[in-house]
Amino acid sequence: MPAKLVVQNLTHHYPDEYTGESVHALEKINLTVEEGELVTVVGPSGCGKSTLLNILAGLLPYRDGLVSVDGVKIEGPGSDRGVVFQEHAILPWRSVAKNIGHGLELKGMPVQERETRVTDFIKLVGLQGFEDKYPHELSGGMKQRCAVARTLCADPVVMLMDEPFAAVDAQTRITLQEELNRIAIATKKTIIFITHAVDEAAFLGDRCFVFSARPGRLKAIVDINIAREKRIWSAMNVNKEFLRSRDEILRLVREEVNIAVEE
Amino acid sequence: MLSRNNLNRFLAFWRHFSGAGAINLAFVIFGILLVWTLISHAIENPARYLPSPIAVALSSFDMVYKGLLPSYFGDTIGRLVVGSIFGLALGIPFGLILGINRTVADMFYPIMNFFQSISGIAIFPIIVVWFGNSDKTIFIVILYTSFFPIAFTVLSGVREIPMKYIHAARTLGANKFQIMRDVLLPGSLPHIATGSRLSIGFAWRAVIAGEMLAGREGLGWMIFTAQDVDRTSEVILGMLLIGLSWIILDHYLLRPFEADTIERWGLVQR
Repeated sequence: MPAKLVVQNLTHHYPDEYTGESVHALEKINLTVEEGELVTVVGPSGCGKSTLLNILAGLLPYRDGLVSVDGVKIEGPGSDRGVVFQEHAILPWRSVAKNIGHGLELKGMPVQERETRVTDFIKLVGLQGFEDKYPHELSGGMKQRCAVARTLCADPVVMLMDEPFAAVDAQTRITLQEELNRIAIATKKTIIFITHAVDEAAFLGDRCFVFSARPGRLKAIVDINIAREKRIWSAMNVNKEFLRSRDEILRLVREEVNIAVEE
Repeated sequence: MLSRNNLNRFLAFWRHFSGAGAINLAFVIFGILLVWTLISHAIENPARYLPSPIAVALSSFDMVYKGLLPSYFGDTIGRLVVGSIFGLALGIPFGLILGINRTVADMFYPIMNFFQSISGIAIFPIIVVWFGNSDKTIFIVILYTSFFPIAFTVLSGVREIPMKYIHAARTLGANKFQIMRDVLLPGSLPHIATGSRLSIGFAWRAVIAGEMLAGREGLGWMIFTAQDVDRTSEVILGMLLIGLSWIILDHYLLRPFEADTIERWGLVQR
């Protein structure tokens, strides 16, 4: 079966916002993501992982290389690829329910059908009772739950997540990671999850793509063979496969950080 | 959306004015009236220079009785409403378009800046040459005056909307129109509210000045002509009404709109 998402020979430069100098963000990236897989992408800051995500989302035009979903070249944003952004990007002027249903509203789904679906996704992320609240009335963790539900509710083929849990406190982050794992089991979505946290990358990924320092290259792929059902934080401290893959990712990332520091 | 809570808001308004803040306000107003009365009694010929509050009140009864005041008041408010509605209806979309499109903004911005510096009063003479001392002249001046504040504030409002909201809508599959409707318009509402207040405030001044210059009946005309015939109490009465009607307009029209939208969404703090 062909892969869900394919990146071939993707090279990207962009002009620096202030100096105008060309920044070499990505160099010859080749990767594939299979259907139903959750892959994590880690690398030192500035390694181009966010650039990659923006290209996959269609928000950033690219020239060199080919990026495709289900064999169709990506040429702009589309509802087949949903994005959960790093900051709280849910709309402040829409209630929780209206934010979650926004994608379906844009597609023109009838109100009743939409409401049923929205209710399902509110349940999935545990936001019952907060349907009519506005984002400023929610905690950071709840805002990101809402953002995840909004993306999933539009039923994208691939879900792209850009360090979605980076801005929440440590306790909430652990909970959100376990919830995302549960959601991955329940929805079988293809997910690309970008992070700078090694623990998170090992806990969530079926595979982890480690990027090199700028220009970003795919340095290594680490397989993490842990059944989704067994991924609970309280069990990870004694899980040999988790510890092994985490240490390997950590070692690979630190090599890159050291190179970046020595330069 | 705006009418549902009107009764509650009305009750809250009176509760608000029966609270501690209201007592302070009442003291301030009482103080002003007291000083005013004292000065008016201390000077010679108060009827010409500063009639007492009581004299002003009496003249207002007289004018209401003759039916002049309600008629002037209605004329002025009518001009204000029509002129500023057109000003806002043109200024808001214009600001939105300029906010979205850099090229269009670069084309029009210098010209807007140029005309913005020519106040409503300064364009009055040429409009009178074109349209005479008519209501049309006053209407054009109000429209002109109210257009710029709203267009400029909406323009900056659109530019201040964080890109992440636009990106989020685009990745959900929104087209240009949907981005305009669901992101840019609600996102610039804080600025639309501020801009409307500025625009209507300026329009309010323009209508008074316009009536004086064009000699059309209304509150502005009333204070202008009363001065000619030495009826200072009517001048002061007109000024009081201008200020009071603005406060009422602001409280019952603009404030509820803000409370239902940008305050509810947490975009501004009350």
